[in-house]
Amino acid sequence: MAIRPEDILHVKTPSMNRLEAAYLPEVIKGFGTTMRHFFTSFGGMGNSRTMSYPEERRENMKVEDGGMELKNFRGFHRLNRDEKGRVKCVACMMCPTICPAKCIHIIAGESPWDDREKYPVKFEIDELRCIYCGMCEEACPVDAIELTPEYDIVGLTRQEMIFDKEKLLHVYDVTISKKPM
Amino acid sequence: MPKITLNGRELEFKPGQVIIQVANQAAPVIEIPQYCYHDGLSIVASCRICLAEIWMPDKATGKLMPYMGGKLMPTCQTTCIDGMVVYTDSPKAVANQKAVMEYLLINHPLDCPVCDQAGECLLQDFSYEYGRGESRFEEAKVKNPKKDLGPNIYLYSDRCIMCTRCVRFTREVTGTGELLVSGRGNREEIDVFPGKPIDNELSGNVVDLCPVGALLDKDFLFAQRVWFLKSTPSIDGITASGDNILVEHNDGKVYRIKPRTNMSVNKWWITDEVRHGWKFVQREDRLCEPKHKQFGVQLKTDWERAIADCVEGLKAVATRGKHIAFLASPMLSCEDTFSIARATTAIDPRAFLAVGPVPVHGQDKTFPPNSADGFKLYAEKCPNSRGVRRTLEALSKQGKHNGYVANFEQFINQVRSGEIGGVIVTGNFPSDWVTPALMDALKNAFVVVIDTLPSELAARADVLLPGATWVEKTGCFENARAMIQAFERAIPVLDGARPEAQIGADLFAQIKSGKPDLAPAYNAAAIRTEMSRVPGLEAFATSVSLPTVTVEQQPAMAMVEL
Ligand code: SF4
Ligand code: SF4
Ligand code: SF4
Ligand code: FES
Repeated sequence: MAIRPEDILHVKTPSMNRLEAAYLPEVIKGFGTTMRHFFTSFGGMGNSRTMSYPEERRENMKVEDGGMELKNFRGFHRLNRDEKGRVKCVACMMCPTICPAKCIHIIAGESPWDDREKYPVKFEIDELRCIYCGMCEEACPVDAIELTPEYDIVGLTRQEMIFDKEKLLHVYDVTISKKPM
Repeated sequence: MPKITLNGRELEFKPGQVIIQVANQAAPVIEIPQYCYHDGLSIVASCRICLAEIWMPDKATGKLMPYMGGKLMPTCQTTCIDGMVVYTDSPKAVANQKAVMEYLLINHPLDCPVCDQAGECLLQDFSYEYGRGESRFEEAKVKNPKKDLGPNIYLYSDRCIMCTRCVRFTREVTGTGELLVSGRGNREEIDVFPGKPIDNELSGNVVDLCPVGALLDKDFLFAQRVWFLKSTPSIDGITASGDNILVEHNDGKVYRIKPRTNMSVNKWWITDEVRHGWKFVQREDRLCEPKHKQFGVQLKTDWERAIADCVEGLKAVATRGKHIAFLASPMLSCEDTFSIARATTAIDPRAFLAVGPVPVHGQDKTFPPNSADGFKLYAEKCPNSRGVRRTLEALSKQGKHNGYVANFEQFINQVRSGEIGGVIVTGNFPSDWVTPALMDALKNAFVVVIDTLPSELAARADVLLPGATWVEKTGCFENARAMIQAFERAIPVLDGARPEAQIGADLFAQIKSGKPDLAPAYNAAAIRTEMSRVPGLEAFATSVSLPTVTVEQQPAMAMVEL
């Protein structure tokens, strides 16, 4: 939607007084802020935001204290399984269509099961290209693709970070208790 | 001209036209929803979604009166009468459209997410525009089975809306009548007779005809969602028909070929061999690097070097007192032929020109059988034997051979006679074409092979140049009806290969400059202009039909201002 002229707010820069125009006092003031944060982070008290990761993790904290909301955190993808343990995806290609980063690659085929037409023979997500917008999750008509609370999976090569169907199903297996379907 | 008024717009019509034809041909089109109507088939008026409210002026008073007692009339079956006033957007007509849509969807599975038709489905489009958006049907849906109707076709009966376009096609266009309607009511299904699959040479067209995803092409099944595909207008590059086609591709890969309407060539149809015959374009073993022979072994090289070797080798033939020859494959475009022939005659003004083997399988066939103006299937399996011959003959008239162009057998005999010491041979056939006679004749000659697929000849070539298939280049073909039709490049050329017209230009550039440079990218239109200056080839300036695309159904999505 275009921005309407009446929605635009013009803000004037306030003019500086003499002290501010002298430049140096303001620099010292700014440096003071830096030092304050530096020391409070050592103390770990009050309004310090520093954590001792990975011993302390946001998923273990309360949301009010800056913890993570597991239900809607957008981390790595998983492919859900149906009640028979098969991949739930029907290869409808809605997610690659909507994906703004074009990082989902699916090859569809005739499914080996009687109760379903189509299934993904290959399903790959390039997790390095993904921008974790969650659009795929929104688009999926069968709730097969989901973003999990996992965010600290690492790889030594780019190839390793292209998750295939097996890996995505494995992510499901290990995250299902943390984040039920 | 007599006129009707349709939804408030005055439209002229030719006597005998039905309302829907006038609406479809209007510019801009007035959309009337339609399933069972098709320009190429008889009219049955069975889907009932095109019904309209029609008024006629009274003969005596001129006052508008309801036509035929005021009942809704099918626009696909009602002939236009001067002064008729038609509404497809009146409350009565709209109520009918809603009712028909709801009725069609009662047993419809609505599995658009896994249905190949989604994105080009009339049921989706019209449901969006004329339907009601929710179902009031609470009972269990009847699920009719999925069937295997023939070598190319699946039928998902549950998605069928019984428009009978497919049945009419096999009865009226092919005359083979494989399909039938069996059962009644919600058990009504399309079927084939036991043991008689739909396997005629035009069977693939029923898939295009089917307005929904009931009839699907096995070859394209689940290959791509249609909205990923880009269409490029092209011409049949496999047979002599010159059928107008659309090459549908994504990411440099062809996925399917569909007919493009051209009333003076293929009307709305194409044959299955054109539809499925493009597979060689993507064969794994396509030739993709230039090679030259050194000390009797073929080695990889770069294009500059390969072209230089060709020129050098062919020039050396002339110093031995022999001539060179160009065997132009009937798979080449006219531009390809001209470009290489020009380079050949630049090396040796007495060079011989010949047309490659013209494959003919069986005899021409007409559908329905023995009809005068039916759809013709050509036995000649190459797109351009006429264009190649026409081009070569004109060039030969200009040169020393007085218009003589050898055919394949004559060419072999000429080479055998020892008159010819070096040849440029082009292939580009979908399958292996090299005959033992050709291999034998070329035993002692310097051979430049320009081809797309590996063969015995390619393995023996002194210089091997990988060429491009017709979907990877621009050019024109002359079909069996002597029409010259241009086509566009659909996908990029395979890495390492070059279109033949480009190879010709490269050869010519090196002959002229003597430096190992390659020519700038060729332009088919420019080559045609140049060709038209040769006496006998004027047609290339005046009567090449360029591809025009008519998009039949525009997407209905409109931008919504929030
Ligand atoms: S949207 Fe869902 S069902 Fe469709 S392809 Fe993506 S994961 Fe599979
Ligand atoms: S035929 Fe059309 S409406 Fe029916 S499932 Fe296929 S795409 Fe959807
Ligand atoms: S299969 Fe398709 S073309 Fe044939 S009747 Fe059904 S909907 Fe119409
Ligand atoms: S299009 Fe007129 S009834 Fe089907």
